[in-house]
Amino acid sequence: MGTSVQMTPLCGVYSENPLCYLLSIDGFNFLMDCGWNDLFDPNLLQPLSRVSSKVDAVLLSHPDILHLGALPYAMKHLGLTAPVYATEPVYRLGLLTMYDHYLSRRECSDFDLFSLDDIDAVFQNVTRLTYSQNYHLTDKGEGIVIAPHVAGHLLGGTVWKITKDGEDVIYAVDFNHRKERHLNGTVLESFVRPAVLITDAFNALNNQLYKRQRDQEFIDAILKALNADGNVLLPVDTAGRALELILILEHYWSQQHLSFPIYFLTNVATSTIDYVKSFLEWMSDSIAKSFEHTRDNAFLLRHVNLIINRDEFEKTAEIPKVVLASMDSLEVGFSHDIFVEWATDARNLVLFTQKGQFGTLARMLQVDPPPKAVKVTLSKRVPLVGDELIAYEEEQNRIKKEAALKASLSREEELKASHGSDTNAPDPMEVDASTSYVSSGSGLRSAGHLDVFIDGFTPSTSVFPMFPFFETTAEWDDYGEVINPDDYIIKEEDRDQASMQILHGDLDIKIEEGSARLLLDLTPSKVASTELTVQVKCGLTYMDFEGRSDGRSVKSIIAHVAPLKLVLVHGSAEATEHLKQHCAKHVCPHVYAPQIEETIDVTSDLCAYKVQLSERLMIDCMCTDIGDYEIAWVDGEVGKTDDMLTLLPLPSAPLPHKSVLIGDLKLADFKQFLASQGVQVEFAAGALRCGEHITLRKISDASQKGGSGPQQILIEGPLTEEYYKIRKYLYSQFYLL
Amino acid sequence: MASAMTAPGSVLKRKDSMASAPVREGDQLIVTPLGAGNEVGRSCVYMSYRGKTVLFDCGIHPAYSGMAALPYFDEIDPSTIDVLLVTHFHLDHAASLPYFLEKTTFKGRVFMTHATKAIYKLLLSDYVKVSKVSVEDMLYDEQDILRSMDKIEVIDFHQTLEVNGIRFWCYTAGHVLGAAMFMVDIAGVRILYTGDYSREEDRHLRAAEIPQFSPDICIIESTYGVQLHQPRVIREKRFTDVIHSTISQGGRVLIPAFALGRAQELLLILDEYWSNHPELHNIPIYYASPLAKRCMAVYQTYINAMNERIRNQFANSNPFDFKYISPLKSIENFDDIGPSVVMASPSGLQSGLSRQLFDKWCSDKKNACVIPGYVVEGTLAKTIINEPKEVTLMNGLTAPLNMQVYYISFSAHADFAQTSAFLNELMPPNIILVHGEANEMGRLKQKLITQFSDKNTKILSPKNCQSVEMYFTSEKMAKTIGRLADKTPEVGETVSGLLVKKGFTYQIMAPDDLHVFSQLSTANITQRISIPYSGAFSVIKHRLKQIYESVEAPIEEPDVPTLIVHDRVTIRQESENYLTMRWSSDPIGDMVSDSVVAVILNISREGPKVTAVAEVEKTQEETAKMAHKVVYSLLVSLFGDVKVVEEGKLIVTVDGNVARLDEKNGEVECDNDSLKERVKTAFHRIQSAVRPIPLSAA
Repeated sequence: MGTSVQMTPLCGVYSENPLCYLLSIDGFNFLMDCGWNDLFDPNLLQPLSRVSSKVDAVLLSHPDILHLGALPYAMKHLGLTAPVYATEPVYRLGLLTMYDHYLSRRECSDFDLFSLDDIDAVFQNVTRLTYSQNYHLTDKGEGIVIAPHVAGHLLGGTVWKITKDGEDVIYAVDFNHRKERHLNGTVLESFVRPAVLITDAFNALNNQLYKRQRDQEFIDAILKALNADGNVLLPVDTAGRALELILILEHYWSQQHLSFPIYFLTNVATSTIDYVKSFLEWMSDSIAKSFEHTRDNAFLLRHVNLIINRDEFEKTAEIPKVVLASMDSLEVGFSHDIFVEWATDARNLVLFTQKGQFGTLARMLQVDPPPKAVKVTLSKRVPLVGDELIAYEEEQNRIKKEAALKASLSREEELKASHGSDTNAPDPMEVDASTSYVSSGSGLRSAGHLDVFIDGFTPSTSVFPMFPFFETTAEWDDYGEVINPDDYIIKEEDRDQASMQILHGDLDIKIEEGSARLLLDLTPSKVASTELTVQVKCGLTYMDFEGRSDGRSVKSIIAHVAPLKLVLVHGSAEATEHLKQHCAKHVCPHVYAPQIEETIDVTSDLCAYKVQLSERLMIDCMCTDIGDYEIAWVDGEVGKTDDMLTLLPLPSAPLPHKSVLIGDLKLADFKQFLASQGVQVEFAAGALRCGEHITLRKISDASQKGGSGPQQILIEGPLTEEYYKIRKYLYSQFYLL
Repeated sequence: MASAMTAPGSVLKRKDSMASAPVREGDQLIVTPLGAGNEVGRSCVYMSYRGKTVLFDCGIHPAYSGMAALPYFDEIDPSTIDVLLVTHFHLDHAASLPYFLEKTTFKGRVFMTHATKAIYKLLLSDYVKVSKVSVEDMLYDEQDILRSMDKIEVIDFHQTLEVNGIRFWCYTAGHVLGAAMFMVDIAGVRILYTGDYSREEDRHLRAAEIPQFSPDICIIESTYGVQLHQPRVIREKRFTDVIHSTISQGGRVLIPAFALGRAQELLLILDEYWSNHPELHNIPIYYASPLAKRCMAVYQTYINAMNERIRNQFANSNPFDFKYISPLKSIENFDDIGPSVVMASPSGLQSGLSRQLFDKWCSDKKNACVIPGYVVEGTLAKTIINEPKEVTLMNGLTAPLNMQVYYISFSAHADFAQTSAFLNELMPPNIILVHGEANEMGRLKQKLITQFSDKNTKILSPKNCQSVEMYFTSEKMAKTIGRLADKTPEVGETVSGLLVKKGFTYQIMAPDDLHVFSQLSTANITQRISIPYSGAFSVIKHRLKQIYESVEAPIEEPDVPTLIVHDRVTIRQESENYLTMRWSSDPIGDMVSDSVVAVILNISREGPKVTAVAEVEKTQEETAKMAHKVVYSLLVSLFGDVKVVEEGKLIVTVDGNVARLDEKNGEVECDNDSLKERVKTAFHRIQSAVRPIPLSAA
């Protein structure tokens, strides 16, 4: 029997909710994606919380909130501890996406589901893989190989292939078979006959316009608004589809020499583009090629300006402009604020490029007809003033004093302790030193940093201490300076500020001035909210730039991949049901669309055993080359050597077997072939008329579509020379075994 | 497994004869260095196993020019090579690629990493421009390089690709940006080709990885033989000290270095040193390489191929944006007015700017020349390391060599400690040394032999064109799937089905399952042919009965007269004027139908004349006798000396070996196994030829 495979959806089936599925292969539990929605609704994670401790590995497929948003929360609060696997761009852009979401949320609320620290902690845990890297799991997962493959849709997007004992389980959600400006199409079609395919029904009911036409309409809509003196807002994700839009705009702007400014406004815009510039090897062939030939990095942007805070944006000139701002949901972030500001002007245009998540402002605006007015909450973090500030400062001072007192006590203790070991230290100065420290009040935290050893600096010993001289006696052991843990204990109140500082030091992320201001802003602040109703007068348009394969292509790709078992997830109930019906009829009989927390068993009912092919058998094998395959007919007797079944040649001459014709006849191709051989040939009533009297037809069994069962071909005609000639040509299309 | 060395070239020429007489103790694996065998330069290693051929690297020898610099491509047939893998962009590893791709019959696929490909083009364009050889001596031109770019495919580190059944992937090698070690897996036999590698992390590169799997063969560089590198810190200190003291005495420092690779590392060191020593700020550092400037974009883009350190720096500012180093275009633009540090290529001081400066500065003892890396035999740089009294200048005059010459190796090649630790970790059963000067390689080989003396490890150092042969018995495992595998068979049962081979994986399946497990599909062709015939149907039946054993009317009565011959061919009298015949295509069906057609046509031609054919029923005995006769004469024609001993017993004598054959059951008794097999096989074939084809099989 084959490998046992079970699958339990935790979120995101029969709906467009975030994706999160538990896939268990021979007892090894993979968590496929760990998404959340833009509203960060903890209720969605209920099913996950029940299984999170069982998870052995997390595989991420795309760097957006729907695929990895819940990771920090799950790691912090739900007891998820498994190692995470993702491609380099998913890791990097996912990290930036999380930062952007956190900062946007933080700007307008006291967001406390997770902190920047939690995000960092999660992403430190990620093992980064490259496309088609076969990664062999160890320990519990011994024998399982995971490999990411190109998915399209987002940079670094992954179709996961999990292999055990030669059986493939493929997880392919949100793939795109079309080549785009910055991404290659998915390689999903190159997988054939996997044991299980898990895919989404998200787009099963959507069909797309042609790319060129769509691009043109997109640009036309934008230019129309700009020329009418309006502004254009494109609500985008942090580091996903925004990249494609940026390239489209760049391209048209430089082609048409347009001068309208374009702004890319997220909390992490500059970092995003900096990192994206170094991900050329993950992008489309044409981008890689243009770099190899001219060393022009496609993301060296000439027309798009990167902005990371609101103030800077306010300073931009008051002329018609295009703004790509996060988030795409319009719930929070720059896009929210700008929308509120611009919605009331009929000249402006809000152009959605992605279907909004359910329950978000973007989704509300995408209905037809659009609402006349929407209620929004405008929240802003404002500095405290007046009484509030005084109260806050008093509180802070009290805390500080307590802390200082505590620190001075511990400091004295420490000094006493170090005094014992450090006999060189001049005695009388010591007390002064410690007291002056505390009294200087330069902050307890800085005390720990004052005597940092500077590399290459050797203090001169010939100089005697002079007044005012502070000999800081630090204790040293094998690991360096002895650290007083109390110095590093962070008070609850300013944890966030401190964590941001840690982030500043620890991470190789550029903290842009804007976010740095937000992060390191020590001025006490609070969130002020105002509810208001916005009259929506601006233009609202939705164009599909989601970069997913459309319904028709999804169907044909699934039919081509032809999995033995198919599992459908993520998509509205109608779409899921539609695709299920379709696939059950045309692809394979085993189509599953489980409900949340419904465990389905997709263990393949395939029987298989292994035999060793003996050399003697192989000598007599006459292999025929057919494309990638070599095929031969074997007759063998089963023998046994060292517990292995071995196939030996038969002792006597084998019985003749029924001959097998191998090949796939396409009547149209065959017609061309015959024509090239000088035979008169035409299609008539579904059959191919060859020469005078011969007809050739394929007897198709309607119920057996999707390449199952052998082809039935009928050739008829009178007994003539021509008949045998055509038959000869027909035979030449097949391999006989 | 066995391995043997043969005289240069002989194996390759014998290849065809080997294929026709397969060696059965295993499959032969051949490794032949076409370059870099007992030398440094023109790396190119040929490898072939089970009909698959891989070429590693495609370099030139920097000390020669024109055709002489190429690897020995004549030894192989370029058209047979499936995959060509290039480890890194250095000239001795990649520079004959345009020639090989454009001027030979090579039609396989070429792979290198992204960074290597990007730099390859810049580097070779520069090489073509700089190399001062006559037009007819030029191996290729700019156009060839551009065309070769279209044929080169890229591979990312750890990405596994499969071409023609050859699976391969690459690991970080640490030598230069984009340098890779290739692991090739053909039918389960793994070969690791290290290229140039370094296990030491430096300022911008990662150390070479240790592969996850141990290879069966490790083809490893031996540039530094048994030498040991000084620790990096000491090397860097010596380097900066030499430069500091020379310039503080008013001298000039020449650093001949190859434009890419080590140069970037040295520039990082110098830039950092200068920024830490403000007193040096007025001393200019020149870097004379427009090429390196062009490559900066590549260095800035592929930071993911570098180490964490540089990636962290990159987040703040571009570390390759040097503050204290200015570019220098040519010697004409150079104001030689005081102390300065100049880094110039080529590294071997053969020609170009580094040589011009050397000629200018070599006679002043205040000046210094720091040779920062490995220098190839036969170049001036190698000569001056031994500090001769005089040197020959480019204009042919001799001049005294007064300048100080320092050799501080920053070469990112593994030293003995790294090589031995690397091999210890991998424990490959076969080690092939390449890319090392003969003496160094010999010493390394001796030392490795001692180190692995108890491990049964084979260590080989073939010369150029000298083949190494090894034999691997690869177990061919097949997976029986689908209907055929409903239950696992017991010993002695037969398994019949289609053996489908893709790459090196085998599957056995029933023909009906073919479309399920592969992209192939099967077809049935039904033929229906109409034959004019106006005679009586019973005549046909009568005639056919004379030929075929089984001529039946169908069980359920049809509307028109119908006959079924051997359950294969159905004949129906559709009307008074014609018959139709229907059967499904296969060789036997076609044959039967042809004979039926012949019979029917004969009847039509002969008209109503019906001749009674005498029923000559041959007795069983006569048939047997006849068969015996045929068997005997065929055996005689095969083996010569065949005697009939008694009824049904034959004795076959070949070269003194005697085999007894029992004609009844086909048993053969013989001491010599091979003769036994042959007689047995021959007898089976004769038997099946003598007996009529059993039509019953279906």
